[in-house]
Amino acid sequence: MRRGIGVGAIRKERLTQERYRGKGNEIQENQFEQMTKQMEVFKTNLEEFATKYKNEIRKNPEFRKQFQEMCSSIGVDPLSSGKGFWSVLGIGDFYYELAVQIVEVCLATTAKNGGLISLDELRTKLIKARGQSKTHQDISKDDLIRAAKKLRIFGSGFNVIPMGRDRYMVQSVPGELSMDHSTILQLAEKNSAHVSNSQACKELNWEEERGKKALEHMVNQGLAWIDSQHPQEIQYYFPSLYTACINSNA
Amino acid sequence: MPEVDMDWPWQYNFPPFYTLQQHPETRAKQVDAWKSLILNYCEQTKTYTIDVRETENPLFNNTTINRKLDGGVITSILSELQRTGNACPIDKNKHRWEIYWHTIEEWAAIIYDFVNERGLQNTVVTLYELTQSEDNKELMFYGMHREVLIKVLRELENQRKCELILDDDVEGAKFF
Repeated sequence: MRRGIGVGAIRKERLTQERYRGKGNEIQENQFEQMTKQMEVFKTNLEEFATKYKNEIRKNPEFRKQFQEMCSSIGVDPLSSGKGFWSVLGIGDFYYELAVQIVEVCLATTAKNGGLISLDELRTKLIKARGQSKTHQDISKDDLIRAAKKLRIFGSGFNVIPMGRDRYMVQSVPGELSMDHSTILQLAEKNSAHVSNSQACKELNWEEERGKKALEHMVNQGLAWIDSQHPQEIQYYFPSLYTACINSNA
Repeated sequence: MPEVDMDWPWQYNFPPFYTLQQHPETRAKQVDAWKSLILNYCEQTKTYTIDVRETENPLFNNTTINRKLDGGVITSILSELQRTGNACPIDKNKHRWEIYWHTIEEWAAIIYDFVNERGLQNTVVTLYELTQSEDNKELMFYGMHREVLIKVLRELENQRKCELILDDDVEGAKFF
């Protein structure tokens, strides 16, 4: 018999395994330590960078977006840190301020659009409202989406609805909108703010009942208006997508 | 767009504006928009009376988008305006309505201010002088319908600010 089956052989094997394990742990710890160090260095650099380019971050929306992306890739959220280093930058404040202004614009336009507004209209109105302030800052759509997403902590009252092709709508009244509803909004957007059930069903390959349910839900949410004087069939209109409504100040 | 000199609100060309909305909140917005449109239209065009049966009225009939507001809906909106003192039916069937973009009380104050400004107290001013005289063309109440004017003067009479004279030979008011 060549294989050691005696007590000595077993002991020897166990010893070897233990040594392997010990070495493995050592290596792991080393790596972890190194990574931690790297992260520390990176974080310090990021903080230095942020301090150095504070004004640039505040003023340049493109720069701000890239900075945000960089932060989120290492798990730092300048928006959620009201205390400590990041508060010095005032980046969180910038977004909180935006969030408050978003709420203000949404409230002011709810009367006409039922609580649904395109991000473009929101941006135009918000910039106009900020106009008076001395320190002018460019506000990008990305800034608005970030700020609006923060408003989700208030429950389902605030929602950012993707409409495809870098288009978004912000919903400021409670009430869930499903994929079906945003699909209908996208259709209406392409069709001068209105759509009929048969048109929706034809375009989207839906059963009549599905379209009817989705459209009626939006009427019941106060987002769509019914036009029953169309020669063919009932049309559902969305003031939030209707150009003349968007451009009016009333 | 009908040939009326008027700043139409965005809703005027919005087709569902002419269908009474079923959703309560949407309907409330719609009715409010109609109420202010009616008052603005009447003020800008100096329209003192509306006949609900008159289907060609550009206010309720938008030929550009081929939409019109149903007579029954018009009547219910005018009834809402009546509650705030901005309209009043002048026949039993509620077909014809007087529209007051200023309420009778507001008109009374406006006319009384004018009388004081011009120092016309204690003299008799004819109805014609008040609302038809070329000199008063710039005034808010220039061209006011006789029936509306009489209601306004009756209001002032109740406030003991004038005495209405409606004789065959003189129609006017003496202001105090």
